[in-house]
Formats: sequence, C-alpha cells, structure tokens
Amino acid sequence: MNMNNRNFVRGLCLIAIALLFGGVALNYKIGELSRSGPGLFPLVVSCFLLLIGLLTVVRSHYVEPVALDYNVKNIALILLSLVGFAVISQHVNMILGIIFLVFCSTFAGTSYSVVRNIKISLGLIAVAFAFKNLLGLSLPLY
Amino acid sequence: MEVLHNLAFGFEHALTWQNLLYCAIGCTVGTLIGLLPGLGPLSTISLLLPLTYSIPTGGALIMLAGIYYGAQYGDSVSAITMKIPHASSIVACIDGYQMTLKGKTGLALFTAGISSFIGGTVAIIVLSTLAQPLGEVGFLFGPADYCALMLLGFFCVSFVSSGSLLNGLAMAMIGILLGMVGTDVNSGVPRYTMDLAFLTDGVGLISIALGCFGIAEVVKNLDNKNVLTPFNGTIKLMPTWPEFKRIIPSALRGSVIGSVLGILPGGGPTIAQFAAYAADKRFSKYKHEIGTGCIEGVAGQAAADEAAARTSFIPLMAIGIPENAVMALMMAAFVVKGIQPGPNMIATHPDLFWGLVASMWVGNCFLVILNVPLVRYWLSVFKIPYTVLFPAILFFCCIGTFSINNSLDDIYTTAVFGLIGYLFLRLDMEAAPLMLGFILGPMLEENFRRAMLLSRGSFNVFVNRPISGTLLAMIAMLVAWQVIVFVRKLRKSPPHGHDNANMPLAAAVEQR
Repeated sequence: MNMNNRNFVRGLCLIAIALLFGGVALNYKIGELSRSGPGLFPLVVSCFLLLIGLLTVVRSHYVEPVALDYNVKNIALILLSLVGFAVISQHVNMILGIIFLVFCSTFAGTSYSVVRNIKISLGLIAVAFAFKNLLGLSLPLY
Repeated sequence: MEVLHNLAFGFEHALTWQNLLYCAIGCTVGTLIGLLPGLGPLSTISLLLPLTYSIPTGGALIMLAGIYYGAQYGDSVSAITMKIPHASSIVACIDGYQMTLKGKTGLALFTAGISSFIGGTVAIIVLSTLAQPLGEVGFLFGPADYCALMLLGFFCVSFVSSGSLLNGLAMAMIGILLGMVGTDVNSGVPRYTMDLAFLTDGVGLISIALGCFGIAEVVKNLDNKNVLTPFNGTIKLMPTWPEFKRIIPSALRGSVIGSVLGILPGGGPTIAQFAAYAADKRFSKYKHEIGTGCIEGVAGQAAADEAAARTSFIPLMAIGIPENAVMALMMAAFVVKGIQPGPNMIATHPDLFWGLVASMWVGNCFLVILNVPLVRYWLSVFKIPYTVLFPAILFFCCIGTFSINNSLDDIYTTAVFGLIGYLFLRLDMEAAPLMLGFILGPMLEENFRRAMLLSRGSFNVFVNRPISGTLLAMIAMLVAWQVIVFVRKLRKSPPHGHDNANMPLAAAVEQR
C-alpha cells in the first residue's frame, strides 16, 4: 500500500473515476438491453473501467514499483496564470490579462527577467491585435 | 481511368489561388509549430483548429490537412537535429540524430524530405484508388459492425500509443465517459452536467485537447527543466549520386508499409515508422549500418511516416470511423464544418474529397520546397529559449479556447483539463486514447443501443455477423497475446521483474 507507487496510485484513480461515473449513472433510468435508458451505457463503461482499475492495482504488486514524481509549483503557477488571464480579461481588459499571464507564468521558468517579460508581453499584445484586426476575432483587448 | 478523371477534377479544386494559399499556410504554420519542442501533431492541430473556423469548408479541410502533415514533418526535423523525441517521430531520433552527430545533418534532412515526398505520393495513389471501394464496404456495416470496429480501434490505439493495453483502455474509457457529459440524444436527459448550463452541450473538444496536449505538455517541459542546446552545425544538403541511389529502395519499401499500416485500425504514422525501420533492418542491403546513422534508417521511416499520415484519412472518409487520435480531431473539424465523414461523403461532396486528395500532393510539393532548400532558416526557430516560448503557447491556448464561442468561461474548462491532463501525465497515462474515446464515445453508444434494439437485447448479433465477428476475434487474439506476454514475463523474473510491457513501444525499440 505505497502511495508513492505510480502504478498503484493509477489503479486507485481509475477506481475512483469508475465509482464516480458509475454511481451517478445509477441515478438515471437504466432500462433493459433491448430498450436502454440513458444510464445503461455509462454504467457498462464504468464497470469495465472499475475492472481495469482493480486489475491495475493487482498488477502493481507484481511489477517493480515506479516512483511518482510531480511538482506542485509549476502546475499551480500555470493554472493561476490561466485563470488570472480569464478573470482580468473579463473584468478589466485583455491587454492587462496578457501582461498578467506573462509575468505570472514565467515564475515557473528557469530564470526570471522583467525586461524579457515586457518584451514578450509587447510581442503577444501585437499578435493579439493582429488576430483582432486581420483574422476578425473579437478579442476584448481594451 | 476513372481515378485519373477524378484526380483531375480534384486538382481543379486544389489549384485555385485560394486553396493553394490555404494549403501553403497550413504547411508552413504546421511545420513551424511542429518544430517547436513539446508540440507534436496533436497539440499543433488543436492549437490551430480554431483558426480554420472562419474559412470556407474546402479551404479549411485543405489547411487542416496541411497543418497535420506539416507538423508531422516538422517533428522529424526536430528529431533529426536535436533528438527531441515526440511520440510521432521517435524513430527519426535513432538514425537521424546519429547522422547529425556524424556531421551529416544536411544529408539526413534531404533524405527525410525526399523520402517523405515519395511516401506521400505513393499514399495518394493508394488513397485515390482505395477510398471509393472501401466506401462501398462501408455501406455493408451495420450498427454491430461499427461497434466492433470502434472497439478494435480502441484496443489498437491503446496498445500502440501507451504500450500497455490496460493503461490505454482505461484512458479510452475515461474518454468515452467524458463524451457522455451533456444531453442524451435518445431521451433528452442531461447527464453528468452537475446542473451547469454550459455543460448541457457537452465538454468542449478544444478544451480537452488544449488542456491535455497543450498545457499539460508545457508544465511537463517546465518540470523537466531541460535546456535545449540549439543546433549550430553546418548543413550541406545535396547528396552525391551513390547516396541518392540508396534513398530510393528504402523509401519505396517504407511507402508501401506506411500506406498499408495507415489504413488499419489503430494504425498511423507511429506504428508505420517502427515497422518500416524494422523492415529496413532486416531487408536492406546496408542493414549492418542501421542504427549507426545511415541513410536507410532515415529514408524508410520518413516515407512510412508521411504515407501513413495520408492513408489514415481513408478509414475516416470511407467508413466514417477515425482510427487514431489525430484523425478523431480531424473528424471533429469535419463535423464543425457540417460534413459527416462516412460512406456518403465521397458521393455527396466529391469536390471536397478529391480536392483534399489532390491538395495533399500539392502540399507534398510545398513541403519539399519548404524543407529541403529552406530548412536552415527553420532551424533558427530552435534559438528561441523555452522561457520565451511557453508564455506564448499558453496565450495561444487561451485564444484558441476563447475564439470557439467567444467565451472567456471556456478558459476555466481548459485550465481544469490542464490539471487533469497533468495528473494523467504524471500517472503515466497517455492522453491520445482519451481523445479517441471522447470523439467515438457518443457514436459507440448510439450504435450499441441501435444494435441492441435490432437484436432485441441479444449479444449474439456481435458474433453472428461476419464483419463484427471477425473484428471481435482480432480483439480476442490481441488480448490473449498481451496476457501471455505478461505471464511469461512474470515467470521469467518473479516477483519484481523489469516491466517491459509497461514501457512505451518507442523505449522498447531503443532498448533493443
């Protein structure tokens, strides 16, 4: 029961997903095979997924454990910059959104430079204007 | 003769100024984005798909196809010069990169370019002769046969893309379940929508594609912290005559293998490259040199790569079932444009079909021009550091998501799938089967329900019909083979042996 074993954790995740979708499917009308309701097919697929999840868990005992490595910082920074971009574009404008996206996401990079970030932002804003004026996308730039 | 007539008809459509322009743009942009580290054909197509929404149907399909084979080719350039292994060009890393180490980059790139051209040309001949007869076969398919074909597709894609049947199948099923989100077409009941209004139409395809292939890949590259050393060597392109003569047989062999493997379910460029490489290793006159950086090792796989990239359109356009994740995305693009790929497509839209086929050859010429004389300019793309690149990729992901519905809310969905994609990546679960499952899921359900309705709830219909019976037998053999391999491995090295079955095909070949 090692939570750091990638194969084992994968099996657990599959079981969780299968139970989630299968459980919800039970709320819909199942019907019978010849005249199936909306719940039947998701239920069948969830059952297969559950089976695969169980097999994966069993299998993880027989094969060499693989360490699970992840880096919370990078994915968190990237998601934050995406969400920030959407929020700022919605409430202020997209130019500020782009600047936020660049300055926030580059914290995840190997080096950080304000001058470079300003250049990237200017470049992307220019691209955004080109999209708006040449391709006709309706970007809320300002 | 009829084929020639049809092709001439196709060229009439492909050679209009407008379509030439779309083809050129598609090839150029596809190659450019495909060259960038961490962006294979799947992410390239999902990034650029929104751009085609405002283009007329014929042009949009031509451009998308151009993006696809452009990206496929751009990928192999980055593999040869810098050994950036993408799933789609992993074989090019072996001999291609060895040639770069020997200072023969130019020769490798020339070989890849010319072989791709040969492969593409052979594939187009196959495509134009086989698509119509196969379309006739498509009419014989009943609901049960469609189900069996889709299942076989899932099994093959799962096996090819992740090397482990269990992992791949799990992802395909998660994809199917995600495809269930939204309103059920038969009963009108909203499923898995959590009472959120924007989910009644289902989860956005682009959100899933960009999340799993764009954002997750970016974060993976950031985690790896790999600083790429840009390629700075000299490039001498033109080969000598004896070198040129060595390209041809290998490229032709690769083209044939690629064309055949491109048509089979679960087939496509990746598996074709491996097969062509293996064939060269066995049959080539210079087989002792393969692996150390020789022409044959590059030519065969490059030809197979491009040939399979084109023939994999056949199942999509003739039967209406995409056979791999890239084709699933293509199918989504077709449907967005109001065209249902399938046996009827060639008959109802001959201009689109033959125009697309002809444009593939035009695109072939563009690729040779772009990549053989101009390749040194492309390589300057690699001088852009990743710290500059990834904010731009993120920005394009946002714009791509936004432009579908002009809705900023969709970016949140994309972000959620970025997180999910990242988790899958860290759990070593390949997202390609998920994509296929997502697109085919609703079709599978529809056909399953129809088959069950027709057979009054009896599963015999799957075994009794010759087509579905054969396809299911193939699945059974695949499963049996996998189980035998696993059990044998356990016996050889109990209880903690080296888990080869879990290794992607690519790594397995490199190890050999």
